[in-house]
Amino acid sequence: MIGLIVLAIFITLIILAVLIIENDDLPHSVILFMGFGLASVILYFIFSAPDVALTEAVIGTGISGVVFLVTLLQIRSREIKR
Amino acid sequence: MNLKKEIRVSTLFVSIIVSIMTILLLPIFLDFNLTATSLGESLLKINEIETNSANSVTSVVTYFRGFDTLGEVTILFLSIFGIGLGLEGYRDKLNIFAYENRLLKTAVDVLFPLIILFGFYIIIHGHLSPGGGFQGGVIIASAFLLMFLAKGDEFSINHKIISLTEALSGAGFILIGILGVVLVDRFLGNFLPLGTIKELFSGGVIPLIYIFVGIKVSAEITALVEYFIRIKDVK
Repeated sequence: MIGLIVLAIFITLIILAVLIIENDDLPHSVILFMGFGLASVILYFIFSAPDVALTEAVIGTGISGVVFLVTLLQIRSREIKR
Repeated sequence: MNLKKEIRVSTLFVSIIVSIMTILLLPIFLDFNLTATSLGESLLKINEIETNSANSVTSVVTYFRGFDTLGEVTILFLSIFGIGLGLEGYRDKLNIFAYENRLLKTAVDVLFPLIILFGFYIIIHGHLSPGGGFQGGVIIASAFLLMFLAKGDEFSINHKIISLTEALSGAGFILIGILGVVLVDRFLGNFLPLGTIKELFSGGVIPLIYIFVGIKVSAEITALVEYFIRIKDVK
């Protein structure tokens, strides 16, 4: 059962990675990146590394995604003004 | 995928070299007979004697590899320093995320102390449960991020206080290390009583180190987020 969950998460990770790269809409890509982080959090937790899972949840999914989104919004507001 | 693209000579060259090296190194990788459990088992045995920390990952990060943690904290400080150096000229009071959302503004007033409390919980219980200084510090910084997003110009942080907090906590980390040299034999040595395992006051010097690391990381990430949110228009 746990092996099936791990396999499903691995396939999800690969699909998400391809979607992140191939996406033309950058904010959409960032949100998919945060989803990638969330899936890897579950994977780390299943592989009994809760410390790494917590770090990934806080830094990989939270702060870095928000910093990406903020940067994109700054660039976009500048483009609209021009 | 565009197959019409010509393959560059350098790309072909690099890929040939990489494949040759892979074939040459493959026997070494296959024969690499590392008994991966030996180091972990010996660390766990030393952990019971020397640090008495319930979370053995924490004792590896802050006690056995405490010098590495000092290096990581320095790397984080240098990256934030570089961002501050690059973006200092573009700072402005205008915050582009000042949405007039009354629901968010009211909810943030309730959530802000709770998130900070949770961050301090993660920091202080770093030697008992998963988590620690880095994670708790970033959680505290995310509370400040929420305030920035919701309040806009009504909420601002004092950069002098932030940098003072960051400098004092970094100095505290190094002070603990030097006290380890003076009182015990080595840098970041344990000079406090170990206590009983799985209690809050246990693990010797580990909770103190993690408290300093947590405060330092929270100040740094808060400064980072503040720099990115308040950028003036470049024209």
